Amino acid sequence: MSAVRTVAKAKPFLAVAAVILGLAATAGPLTAAGFSRDVSGPPDVLSSRIGQATVTDTVLYADDSPDVFARARAARDALGFPAGAARSGRHVKDGLRNAEYDEVADLDSAGRPISLTQFDGRGRLVTAVRFDLPPGLSAKVTSDQASKAAEAVLGRSGLTPAGKADAEPNPVAGGWDVHWPRTEGGFLVRGDETTVHVWQDGRIHSVARVEHQLSSLPSRRLGQADAQDVVRHQFDAWFAGRGSGYAVANMNLEWVEPNAAFDPSKIGATPASYRLAWVANVMPSGAAAEVLRQITLYVDAGDGTVIGGDVVE
Amino acid sequence: MRRAKALLVSVLLAVSALGATAQATLAFRGDAWSNSDSFTSHCLGFTDTWPRQLYSLTTAQMAALGYSPIGGALGAGFTRSSFLSNVFYDYAVYAHTHGDNYWAASGAPNVDSAILQDPGTGNCSSFSRDAIRSSAIKSATYGTFYNLVIMSTCMLGSSSSTMPGAFQIEKTKSSTDRKFYIGYAKLTYDSAQFRFESALWSYLNGAPNHQRTLYQAFTYAASIGGYEVPDSANPFQPNWWGNPNYNGTPGWM
Repeated sequence: MSAVRTVAKAKPFLAVAAVILGLAATAGPLTAAGFSRDVSGPPDVLSSRIGQATVTDTVLYADDSPDVFARARAARDALGFPAGAARSGRHVKDGLRNAEYDEVADLDSAGRPISLTQFDGRGRLVTAVRFDLPPGLSAKVTSDQASKAAEAVLGRSGLTPAGKADAEPNPVAGGWDVHWPRTEGGFLVRGDETTVHVWQDGRIHSVARVEHQLSSLPSRRLGQADAQDVVRHQFDAWFAGRGSGYAVANMNLEWVEPNAAFDPSKIGATPASYRLAWVANVMPSGAAAEVLRQITLYVDAGDGTVIGGDVVE
Repeated sequence: MRRAKALLVSVLLAVSALGATAQATLAFRGDAWSNSDSFTSHCLGFTDTWPRQLYSLTTAQMAALGYSPIGGALGAGFTRSSFLSNVFYDYAVYAHTHGDNYWAASGAPNVDSAILQDPGTGNCSSFSRDAIRSSAIKSATYGTFYNLVIMSTCMLGSSSSTMPGAFQIEKTKSSTDRKFYIGYAKLTYDSAQFRFESALWSYLNGAPNHQRTLYQAFTYAASIGGYEVPDSANPFQPNWWGNPNYNGTPGWM
């Protein structure tokens, strides 16, 4: 125990020592001892865009933006969030998420946020969340009760997602995550949804609505067999001579966001509107399976090109 | 005595002249590691770009939180020996790579979680060669404390993960120490990790003077929705342990 304590104090000591011995900062010995920054890959302009992205905001005042504050109050009350001792507002340009929104936070007496609501440029609720800790295990709502509570609160908030909700337990914060996946033209919009987290005592913890702009449907749609050929051709080319195999687990038509997953030249590019694509989930085997559990490929349903995808490492 | 005082004054002058730079560059080191060579066209036929994107995001945002210098590596510099020889000096550690909860050498049901080092330019991953076990990390940390640990991998945020313990972070959500661990409990798409971590950093560093806590940033990021999942058995489940009132800035006080 004493040994652990002794060593646990060593790092603070090293930090202080580093300050006192700060003259070595620009000299060789400490750099050689492992304080250098080692970036093996070539730096590129596009990924540095991610590193340089910033969040900028403009303060919103209730007198100047009464509609924003009124919306926030209505949403807060509809969701059953506690009222704070004060409120603060800001318009945010979030370069990390490529998002822009108005945000109002309820603050406690010390000025700390206890909840927030965010609205898009059309004044629609995007995110609402409270920051107090989850309740204890005293009460447990069922998935059905959670779904009904979520549906009721969405109705009071002016959100009316279509279709049937899926409820899944949330083991981290307790309670249930109730999702309404978005579909358009009969096809799932990948990632778009309205979702509500209901605490196990039935109170609402958070609400989010994710909705992206869609391109028009392709005039001519690639059939599944042709799309499978594209996938096979792509994986045969990728895996040839690399000791890797694959199996296509399933394919579905979905709306997807073209992305840079397999194309470094697109890193940091402005997000494009969603396109209808064949989404192929592929399970690697052999060498590729050492680091990848799944590869998902997006094949444009109009022109058959690969427009992105995803991986599970 | 007078000579001693003069010496002390000289030392203090030297420290004050160089101290600001030193404190900024040496005091609270953070390491960000990202395995990219496993995911290049040499190994897979295509270049998976997520490791680079996540590395770029983390190095910038970890620095914005106050860690300095930011070490670690993208690619071949992310070796087991480099990780283990540097980790003792870190206050913040980030790793994006393949990770899982493997049986310990003593066998089931004991778990010894692991992450994979970068295999090096021209090589592809092999678990037996590349694994960095939590037990090895724990030995290298020598019981010292860590402010912020993010395991941007699959599975290391699950209840069976032994990775938090490697950094002396207990699996409690009510710590009062300045420490916070983040991981993902299930199989997770890289795009979901990027979306989550972007939102986490955006909220955490989006206010002046580090007013927000990691718990708030985690809760915000977990609440925004829109996370794609590989299948219904693997819902998006980031997890945390540590102090819910800690703002993530470096230091032991």
